[in-house]
Amino acid sequence: MHLRERISQINWFVFTSRAALGLIVGALVFYAVEPWLPWNNTARPRTVIVYGFSILGEVMTKGIFPAFQQEWQTRSGEHIEFIVSFAGSGTITNQIVLGVPAQVGILSTELDAKRLVQQNVLRADAWKTLPHNGTLNYTPFVILTRKNNPKQIHDFSDLTRDGIGIVHADPRTSGGALWGILAEYGSAKQLGASDAEAEKQLAGIWHNVVAQASSARGARTQFENGFGDALITYEQEAVYDLKRGKLNDEIIYPRSTIESEHTVVIVDRNIAPADRELVNAFVAFLWSDTAQKIFAEYGFRSVDAKWNTDFVPIEKPFRVSDMGGWDQAKREIVDALWKNKITAASPQ
Amino acid sequence: MIATPKRSRIPRGLFPVGILLAVMLPLLLMPLAAIFVFAARSGLPGFVAALSSPDAQFALRFSLLIAFLTAFINGILGTYTAYVLSKYRFPGRDALNVVVNLPVAIPTVVVGTSLLLLWGPIGILGQFLVPLGVSPMFMPAGVLLAHLFVTFPYMLGSVKPVLDELEVTYEEAAYTIGANQLQAFRFVVLPALRGGLFSGALLTFAHSLGEFGATVLVSGNLSFRTQTAPLYIFAQFEAGNIEAANAVAAVLAMLSFVLFFALMQFNKSSARA
Repeated sequence: MHLRERISQINWFVFTSRAALGLIVGALVFYAVEPWLPWNNTARPRTVIVYGFSILGEVMTKGIFPAFQQEWQTRSGEHIEFIVSFAGSGTITNQIVLGVPAQVGILSTELDAKRLVQQNVLRADAWKTLPHNGTLNYTPFVILTRKNNPKQIHDFSDLTRDGIGIVHADPRTSGGALWGILAEYGSAKQLGASDAEAEKQLAGIWHNVVAQASSARGARTQFENGFGDALITYEQEAVYDLKRGKLNDEIIYPRSTIESEHTVVIVDRNIAPADRELVNAFVAFLWSDTAQKIFAEYGFRSVDAKWNTDFVPIEKPFRVSDMGGWDQAKREIVDALWKNKITAASPQ
Repeated sequence: MIATPKRSRIPRGLFPVGILLAVMLPLLLMPLAAIFVFAARSGLPGFVAALSSPDAQFALRFSLLIAFLTAFINGILGTYTAYVLSKYRFPGRDALNVVVNLPVAIPTVVVGTSLLLLWGPIGILGQFLVPLGVSPMFMPAGVLLAHLFVTFPYMLGSVKPVLDELEVTYEEAAYTIGANQLQAFRFVVLPALRGGLFSGALLTFAHSLGEFGATVLVSGNLSFRTQTAPLYIFAQFEAGNIEAANAVAAVLAMLSFVLFFALMQFNKSSARA
């Protein structure tokens, strides 16, 4: 009698615990499967698949995409959706080579577009047929320091001092990091230094790099998490936060710095004939007044000067064309100096 | 001082427990707590808002879906593999035994790379298949392939030891009373395996839910299409949206906790019953 009571108690316990487990699992299965059930399948909207470099996240998802969706809706009555991925420009370039379904790529450097040509993804200079040779917008490279600039950093040359920790994006995966290298070397040249002195500045800065992230945005996040004393990055990153009153850092404008130009590419092999008109319309929209104004509002300098009234003037700006173009700059500065001399020699 | 007589062999004392806690606290407990402390800081409305964003919802559901499918498929494949490896003698059995357990030892990033080099557009099979329109990479199917690969040994590891221990005589007894092989498996072997199947499926599910290294390579990381919850957490964290990342991280942590709590309860109750 006593024993039987105990057995039935145990069975009751086993039963309820298993029923509860079954309920939990059932609920989870339903939650997971629900979006794919047939009654949710009515009329999936057409999509445009965009891969963009890291700092484009906000301006595209909050500004450009909604604006184009609205414009396309009024023009054709059709609702479309964007499918997106943002990462370092080098990373998304590698992904496109490996076959991700990107229809439009927004790369932070023309160098990555050239890499797509080498890998037979694009025809040579395919982006040059777009407005402004495919350049969407630009932004000068600046230095971010902690509030009130405790280490008294005023230009790239100050970053070579002992005891300064620099956060930098990784040039292997980030286009922003490549622009950084050109800025660190080229600014010295622009201010009248010799090749050897410019190389010394570049080497001195890289001697002080304490953390590398895979993208410009990743580097910014590391810096905001408290690493290092200075971050070399796009002006847009800082200006966007400044406008929203969210900037905790100090923006230091170097006397001379590079203006990065960002390249749009259309990946033909991933576009079905029926979607070509939509993709072309989106790409054309990127250079419209509406879009360029949005870029300027989010801190990018527009290719159209009329939107650039709010920006701080740079004393001696320069572009990659002033360094002989990307091919030469990559060969002589990134590869010959940074890769083979500076990082190969640094004791790590 | 009066010495208390020893009543049991089990040593009593708070000192070793204290040391254990002191070690565990910074190693395990505090990092986990940090997720929840951080989530609580933004308050419940902020937490809910971060969780209910469409891309976070998609990532969670997609992760769960993949985890269920992985657990189901590998549940069957793993059990079958365990059965064959345990019951049949054939040349190369030891080698096969090593191979099926390899995914535990191979870094997940390597798994992702190898899948791309097989199925991707420049891959060994992919260069022929992709032009025909067969390209699992950067699609949900590719994510599933990666998860099946990475979690394969967990089911096997839970089921095979039970099968190895299981007396052949029971099965043979079944045959003597006229059961065919399928019936013997269904009525003799399978009931004995229940515990192993359950814990194996749960382990597979949990590993699939947290898989990152292989997924990041084969998924293309597309929101609303192939972005799993861990990829979402990483992307949002790197983009500086720590709240969004943390909310999903808290859910994943909670889910794993519930699952393993359920596993322990199940083991306890099936041991008692």
